Amino acid sequence: MKFTKFIAAAATSVSLLATAAYADADHPKVGLVMKSLANEFFQNMMVGAEAHAEKRGDYELLAVGMQNETDFESQINAVNTFITQGVDAIVIAPADSRAMVRPLKRAMEAGITVVNFDVALDADAKKQQGVELAFVGPDNRQGAKMAGDALAAALGEGGKVVIIEGNPGADNATQRRLGFEDSVAEHGLNLLDSRTAYWETEEANTVFANMLTANPDIQGVMAANDSMAIGVVQALEAAGRDDILVVGFDNVPAAKALVGEGKLLATIDQFGSEMAANAIDLAIDVVRGGPELEGWVRTPIDLVTQ
Amino acid sequence: MQTATNLAPDAPDLKSNRLTLRYVLQHAGIGLALLILVIFFSIASEHFLTAGNITNILTQITINLILAVGMTFVILIGGIDLSVGSVLAFAGVVAGKVITLSGFSDGTLITMAVLAGLGTGVICGLMNGLISAWWGLPSFIITLGMLNIARGAALHVADARTIYSFPFSFEEFGSIMIFGVPILFLLALALVAVAWVVLNFTVFGRMVYGIGNNEEAVRLAGHNVMFYKVGAFAICGACAGLAALAYMARLNISSPIAGIAFELDAIAAVIIGGTSLAGGRGSVLGTLMGAFIIGVLANGLILMGLNDFMRQMITGLVIIVAVIVDYYRARFSTT
Repeated sequence: MKFTKFIAAAATSVSLLATAAYADADHPKVGLVMKSLANEFFQNMMVGAEAHAEKRGDYELLAVGMQNETDFESQINAVNTFITQGVDAIVIAPADSRAMVRPLKRAMEAGITVVNFDVALDADAKKQQGVELAFVGPDNRQGAKMAGDALAAALGEGGKVVIIEGNPGADNATQRRLGFEDSVAEHGLNLLDSRTAYWETEEANTVFANMLTANPDIQGVMAANDSMAIGVVQALEAAGRDDILVVGFDNVPAAKALVGEGKLLATIDQFGSEMAANAIDLAIDVVRGGPELEGWVRTPIDLVTQ
Repeated sequence: MQTATNLAPDAPDLKSNRLTLRYVLQHAGIGLALLILVIFFSIASEHFLTAGNITNILTQITINLILAVGMTFVILIGGIDLSVGSVLAFAGVVAGKVITLSGFSDGTLITMAVLAGLGTGVICGLMNGLISAWWGLPSFIITLGMLNIARGAALHVADARTIYSFPFSFEEFGSIMIFGVPILFLLALALVAVAWVVLNFTVFGRMVYGIGNNEEAVRLAGHNVMFYKVGAFAICGACAGLAALAYMARLNISSPIAGIAFELDAIAAVIIGGTSLAGGRGSVLGTLMGAFIIGVLANGLILMGLNDFMRQMITGLVIIVAVIVDYYRARFSTT
């Protein structure tokens, strides 16, 4: 078996360090591939993972982040580099849920334990490539629905709401929008408008101010992340409207402060700083002979209110 | 030796009546376009021509207007500055770090933050100018480098986190309205006025037009071309610093991911405003109207309920049309 693993690894890597491929399972090498470190969420995750590596002290952490959210080419390079370096496990938050399947398949063929967290790989793409891989992560749709439900409970049936969406095409943006829409449907809310503000504060401030002008009767806002919720809150202050409720997502410190002041009704914490660390724990268990992961290992999400 | 005035034949000479007429005509086209847009949206949406929405538009164009004023200087000398969005973020997080220090009075903190934000912008602008002018390299590529440097620096300084909790008086200042006009917009308007005076009534302004028209002639006339070029980039950097402060005052946060692609809107405002990408021809008043056109479009299309993707397509179309119009205007004004 070792020989076939070696062949597979050699075939897919440019320069394989044969000895490194069989690192000691007592002190495994774990390659962590994240999305944009320019995103506070992944920055916290990175810090959490580094702290975790130091605390456990029984594995070596190799972490890489990307330039931006959609930079899946760098992720593919990172995965290939990790294969070459002969890591024991790759723990990855894919930037593209389809494009990453093939390189990860190569890693698995090279005998590397792969754990997919944060964003799930596309089910069809996995089937097509014949890859069986569990997903460890939060249910973004469920989280958004929790935030939406909190808003619906405060507004009551028929409440007029708008959605501020994340980047068009991003999987978590889609999941959160769907979660908000689930909530709208379940509680009979009246969805007036839904627009993207590309995850960004200033854009959300501008876009929402204009939505409010067009629909002065808005009662509630569902923002797909906290950066955008902050921009919305600021637009409400500028317009002198304190009768409109806002929910966000991510629980970044600046938003947490707004929740405390009562300017943000609720946000969602998906414990990003622990998410990578938990996925690493699961990966090391498998490397040390534990059972393979299966299906969707859901990680905790929590509604944060005042 | 030639005088500076002769080196800048396309600079508006306000002393001559004939040229004054041409100056008015030059702006008439863009002004008319803006008027048509305003009339169109007023009919299309009952909310467009309301006091509240006008306040919104003024708020929303302020940052782009400030960036575009600086960009006008750089484009007039025949350069381009792709780094202003990133420099805005960098200046913003530096000012944000300073303004959230503890142990100082609010007044001291605000003063230090303003200096830090402006200073950061000026330093980035100076680097853009010095490197491109000294080695005679295209500013396109140097400022593309700075776009990455400043973004990386912003993320590094802020540790990729949003900076918040500014002094109360600073947060209040950003929301002051004077008869429904945001104070930040009035300050941007004052900046336009200063830039207009500098470009039209100072040696510096003459040189900016002169270099854009014929850099070699200015050099042969014995002028220090490098000084004026670096000056134009420094002004552009300073404007990015100012825009960062306006961002902070409006949103009460600093974000290292602020300003992504803002350079494109700023360049679009300058070009729609009739300033030639080849340099030497254009004006900051055109830029003011260009910024209005972009802001009115973004606002009006949302009020009409157009979806995000249609909105983006229409904005792109307007930019292309503006450049085509500019092509004909340039041909007619030289024949």
